[in-house]
Amino acid sequence: MLTIDNLHAGYGTSEVLVGVSLEVKAGSVVALIGANGAGKTTTMRAISGMLRPNEGRVLLDGKPVQQFDASRIARLGLAHSPEGRKVFGPLTVEDNLLLGAFGRLPRFFGFRTRAAADLAGVYELFPRLQERRLQAAGTLSGGEQQMLAIGRALMAKPKVMLLDEPSMGLAPVIVQEVFNTIRRLKEAGITLLLVEQFAKSALEVADYAYVMDRGRIAIEGTPAHLAEDERVLAAYLG
Amino acid sequence: MYTLLIVQLAVSGALMGMVYALIAYGFQLTFATSKSINFGQGELVMLSALFSLTLIDTGLPYWLVVPGGMLFGVVLGLFVERAGVRLALEQKSEGWILLTIILGLLGFSAAENIWGRDDRPFPTPIPSDPVHIFGIDVTPLELSVAIGVLAVMGLVELFKRKTLLGKAFEAVSADRDAAQLMGISATRTIQLSYGLSGLVAALAGILVAPITTVGPTMASVLILKAFSVAVVAGLDSGFGVVLIGLFLGALESLTSFYLGSGWREAPGLVLLILALAVRPNGVFGKASIRKV
Repeated sequence: MLTIDNLHAGYGTSEVLVGVSLEVKAGSVVALIGANGAGKTTTMRAISGMLRPNEGRVLLDGKPVQQFDASRIARLGLAHSPEGRKVFGPLTVEDNLLLGAFGRLPRFFGFRTRAAADLAGVYELFPRLQERRLQAAGTLSGGEQQMLAIGRALMAKPKVMLLDEPSMGLAPVIVQEVFNTIRRLKEAGITLLLVEQFAKSALEVADYAYVMDRGRIAIEGTPAHLAEDERVLAAYLG
Repeated sequence: MYTLLIVQLAVSGALMGMVYALIAYGFQLTFATSKSINFGQGELVMLSALFSLTLIDTGLPYWLVVPGGMLFGVVLGLFVERAGVRLALEQKSEGWILLTIILGLLGFSAAENIWGRDDRPFPTPIPSDPVHIFGIDVTPLELSVAIGVLAVMGLVELFKRKTLLGKAFEAVSADRDAAQLMGISATRTIQLSYGLSGLVAALAGILVAPITTVGPTMASVLILKAFSVAVVAGLDSGFGVVLIGLFLGALESLTSFYLGSGWREAPGLVLLILALAVRPNGVFGKASIRKV
């Protein structure tokens, strides 16, 4: 569903990614782990078009998208829930969710009716968001904002969802909740590329995993396979 | 009698202040989406008014002239975005400042060549005989300014709150990158904001024209006041610009009464300096939080 082939990208003259290749099969959860500064977030940004790759290809459902603008890639079915959540603070929770479905809703009127069923689905997954649906998103707690960011990405009914550091800055209890959510997404058949600092938890939910190191994929394999790899053990799973 | 005179002056001034508010609102619209404004907005106001005058000369009825002039404003706004602002924003430079000033100067030359340098009256079917409201004289012309300003601002605010495209507009204002990830094109939204900004500026020109007369320099002072209002109110509060606009209009009117009309432009500039010194984000502006 998502194939990245020899991706090079960076900021200014410094190249952060030096040939990243990975694949996310339809209906699978793939984890991308690695040390800080290995290039995980840059990889995500280069996939979703927030950062234009210098070289290499990004295939979404077989179609090359690496030269497209981020908004166009999003409309083609890639939902990127970015690092730091980036909810629209001044807008209400519900408006945030509706905007998640922007690409497939009428622009002026009737968008509420059209989105009602999907909205109900997200509220069922995150009842807290329904309680706070008319509250400004900026007033939510970190955990709630993360739920909103995931819900907003779900509203797009994406072919592939990118989830960048969903547990960042959250209390341990909430982190557990986030991973429960990811498990439910997996059960629902969402195709997911997950970047996580909690490598152990990430490997528990993933079908396949890549370990990044200094801008390239160092090791890849099934979680069971990685868990036996001494390098992974030493570096990330301690 | 004396207090009545003061109130009278304040009210007339405040109604003129609504024009400042509307132009300031146009600045807010583009600043929200792109953190840029059109420094040639005064010329846009003036060109739209002159264009409307030409429409009147061709015999078009007033109720068609107004939308015609506003449409012209939209076209100018889109042109400024395409020919100036976008080039700079694509390179993440502040070049839009110079580019919009240059486009404004070009517009000014064009106006002088096409319509001549003279100020001309702007005929309107709205009567200018005063009517009495609570003992104060107000002309229907002045009232039409207030109504027009509030109506168009109300419609734009309604658009922003009630339509999905309007919410997308707000999303781009809040976080451009995140909005792009929702499939919202920032480029198209900035374009839209410049179109809307041109629309409200053109309306400001059409509304004020019968009162001030029309000519290439008609907006040079007006735009300075609008800047003051936008900066004093803050660049993100539509409600704020109306209040500050009313306040500044009234203040100017009273200043020119007490100190002489030569001091008319002073309050706007003094307010501007005070605001920049004391509250750079504006009276109604949110303090911008910079993440490090």
